[in-house]
Amino acid sequence: MIKFEIDGKKIQAKSGSTIIEAADAAGVDVSHIPRFCYHSKLSIAASCRMCLVEVENGRKPLPACATTVTAGMKIYTKSHQAMQAQKEVMSFLLINHPLDCPICDQGGECELQDLSMGYGRTSTSFIEGKRSIKDKDIGPLIATEMTRCIHCTRCVRFCSEIAGLRELGILGRGEHSEISTYVEHSMQSELAGNIIDLCPVGALTSKPFRFKARAWELRARAGIAGHDCLGSNINIHIKRESDSQPERIMRVVSRTNEKLNETWLSDRDRFSYTGLYHADRLARPMIKQIGKWQETDWETALTVATQKLQNVIAQNGAQAVGGLISPNSTVEECYLFQAWLRSLGVPHIDHRIRQSDFDHQIQSPLVWSTCKCVQSLEETTSFLLIGSFIREEQPLITSRIRKATQGGARVHVINPVDFDFHLTLTNRCIVSPWGMVCSLAAIAQVLFGNDKKKLNIMPKPIAELIRQQKPNTVEHDIARDLQQDKAPLILLGALAQAHPYFSYLRVLSETIAIEIGAKTLHLTDSANEAGAWLATALPHRRIDGVSIKEPGYNAKAMLAKTLKSYCLFGLEPTYDSAYPELARTALQQAECVIVCSAFKNKAMLEYADVLLPIATHLENEGSFVNIEGTRQSFQRSVNKPFAEARCGWKVLRVLANFMGRPGFDYQTVLELSSELSRNLENDLQSEHIPPVDFKPLPTVSDNTVWRCGYWPIYRNDSLVRRAEPLQVLTVEQDLAKLRLGAALATHLKVNNGDRVSVSSDHPDAKPVTLQVLIDQRIADATVCLPSGLPDIAINGPLSVVRITT
Amino acid sequence: MSLSFAKRQINSLLLLELFRGLSITGRVFLTRAITIRYPEEDTPISPRFRGMLALRRYANGEERCIGCRLCEAACPALAITIEADVRSDGSRRTTIYDIDAFKCMHCGFCEEACPVDAIVLTSEMHYHMEARGENIFTKDKLLAIGDLYEEKIAQDREKDNA
Repeated sequence: MIKFEIDGKKIQAKSGSTIIEAADAAGVDVSHIPRFCYHSKLSIAASCRMCLVEVENGRKPLPACATTVTAGMKIYTKSHQAMQAQKEVMSFLLINHPLDCPICDQGGECELQDLSMGYGRTSTSFIEGKRSIKDKDIGPLIATEMTRCIHCTRCVRFCSEIAGLRELGILGRGEHSEISTYVEHSMQSELAGNIIDLCPVGALTSKPFRFKARAWELRARAGIAGHDCLGSNINIHIKRESDSQPERIMRVVSRTNEKLNETWLSDRDRFSYTGLYHADRLARPMIKQIGKWQETDWETALTVATQKLQNVIAQNGAQAVGGLISPNSTVEECYLFQAWLRSLGVPHIDHRIRQSDFDHQIQSPLVWSTCKCVQSLEETTSFLLIGSFIREEQPLITSRIRKATQGGARVHVINPVDFDFHLTLTNRCIVSPWGMVCSLAAIAQVLFGNDKKKLNIMPKPIAELIRQQKPNTVEHDIARDLQQDKAPLILLGALAQAHPYFSYLRVLSETIAIEIGAKTLHLTDSANEAGAWLATALPHRRIDGVSIKEPGYNAKAMLAKTLKSYCLFGLEPTYDSAYPELARTALQQAECVIVCSAFKNKAMLEYADVLLPIATHLENEGSFVNIEGTRQSFQRSVNKPFAEARCGWKVLRVLANFMGRPGFDYQTVLELSSELSRNLENDLQSEHIPPVDFKPLPTVSDNTVWRCGYWPIYRNDSLVRRAEPLQVLTVEQDLAKLRLGAALATHLKVNNGDRVSVSSDHPDAKPVTLQVLIDQRIADATVCLPSGLPDIAINGPLSVVRITT
Repeated sequence: MSLSFAKRQINSLLLLELFRGLSITGRVFLTRAITIRYPEEDTPISPRFRGMLALRRYANGEERCIGCRLCEAACPALAITIEADVRSDGSRRTTIYDIDAFKCMHCGFCEEACPVDAIVLTSEMHYHMEARGENIFTKDKLLAIGDLYEEKIAQDREKDNA
């Protein structure tokens, strides 16, 4: 600690910290040092010179952001010299800045505007013409007005340091310098939206929000982002009701939480709100009568839903009903959903719509990964990433890993496609989905393949698999690096979770983790997977954590067995499910499908009988449990969700009331949450779980072709799919192509642009005709065809497919 | 005492006060009348008079309003409702600009706040509504009023600035 003085006040700071850091840490005791280019999360540029302060015995004013404090230093931030310097800098900044605050979207929340109130002069001696810069088109998310730029280079530093893509740079010198992409193109980074927050002036503003509202009209409400498992903290900005418009969510900005999202936010979380008022949004409850849809009031809709469901139960028993809930629903919704269905005797309840392999479910822990390791990601020095397009799945976790790699951390990847992560990878195993399991087994063999004792206590097929492997050099390298590292981290992504041999991957990664003292982290692509497990929206576990002897059907079996009735909550199974083909047939054959959803789609109008509109996560109340196991509550941001839509928990509560189930009398979501918390605290029991049988190893021939069906970043859930600015970024025609490697193309005798038909490996499967695109990043014996695309319904995101030319 | 009494008597006999009074009557009788025949005739008013609201245009016909919403923020009666958006040429324009004439108290703060002199209070005070809803002055109506009175508005501003 160093002792020094700011404005006559005695202050202590860590040695090596800069004046501005020390002053900010001292908080209210010290007057605020004005700044433009300095940002605590970015490197120091000292280019704006706004933070000039006087230092005793200094020859001239020094920039507070780039001067480290020394013991006994006496700093004056408000002395005559300091103020004079700051005012001069301000007048230089204002020379070329246009005075167009009335039409500037930053007006009212502009750092330059605020500081010019304190440091600006009322008149200028500058009589020459102001410079003007041509605006750049950098995509559908960010509007540019480059004449306003003051060259603080925050955006440039953000792109290279945090987003990992050097997309913006400074061209020219002096008066001719300008921020540009050099060759005009849309920004590709999935974190690009952050430069809107970073820009201290109105040079970079939000395009979807352009001119829609003013900062002073908006009310900020704290919320939790709901598109990945990090649980980023957000502020939802709402415009009050007016004569011309109901209350509306106008934009989403990030809220600082050092443990999770720091000050950043991914574009998916920032711009998903643009889908809120899409034409597909369900405004009022709807019922289908004699094949025709009609809007109705809540009471009628709920009565119809109750009657239909009770009819099915009366005729076929509760066994004929299945409940599927989205893992993006709140913990409270998951809890009520399972409580309501279990009170009716329905055993088939699940949220794992993207999972293919449920073999190991009984042995999965009650509570998902609870290692609080998001913040420590930056200190981790070795990562093993299994089955994940992590940059698209978890943009902010990737930025943490990127920071770790900048500090020398090594990242090893086992993936079916050589995805571009915008970070340096040390080793990559690009293998087919089955190859992923084999690679992991090979790593296990290097680590403990000779230890017969260890292999003997393992489940037989897995021990067998490990024995079979012949590790190659890459696998050797990975194993050795993991072994040598102090605390490596194994990350299982969404592709691992959707893997048909997920149980293998899981057991292998856990065994490796125990062997080398690593932590494992499951990165789910939904907001509340961990919460859904806790609230036991599962077929095999009760709320007190006890396993059910005869579990109900899991998400896949429910669709494969074609039940008489389905209750869907917050889902569009034809897009969201790993089995869209199965889902469509099952739902269309069902007698009664009750859907609680915020949005409708064409398929839903065909299979559903009752549509109940619910709130999206931006309008909802409840809580999400993130990947660290942190439960974050949020309150309703708007007084009323869109039109007649209601919060999901209220709909479920009233459905239970209508069906005469006792014990569903919650008045507020808080009552519900506290009951849930009590249940979780008191009754979480551990029990002896018998070992389960693993499915046998598959027979893989030379002709077997696997599919890699990842969910593209902006096709992940129903809200994002309707956010138009984000959809512009993902060109659907490019996604809806069958990508394959050159070797497979030669084997199949196809060329770029040829049309082939693809179907899942099932005799009745409907083939889809697609264009071939040869892509070197795809592993051998693998084709890449994303999931969640319209009109492409192929079962199993990582299973075997048949290709006919 | 006797002297003042005599003086009063003489004045009274000479009808001096009567003639003095009649002289005022006579003078006023001969000067021009100050009463006007309202509504056929108008009273003269200040160029700063704050009457009916209007939106102005530039000489080239382009509307002045840029949708900055400062008038909306300045309005103490919350009479102004604005929605803005990007116009096809990329400029910032209002899509809705409504003023509720019932709420408006003609304080002129909106005119003070306007950075481009778009919203103004004209010297026109003769206006009325005949049906519900007419009290909402829409953007089209305000622009039409502005077009109608542009000459007078410009004159008034010039006089006021001089």
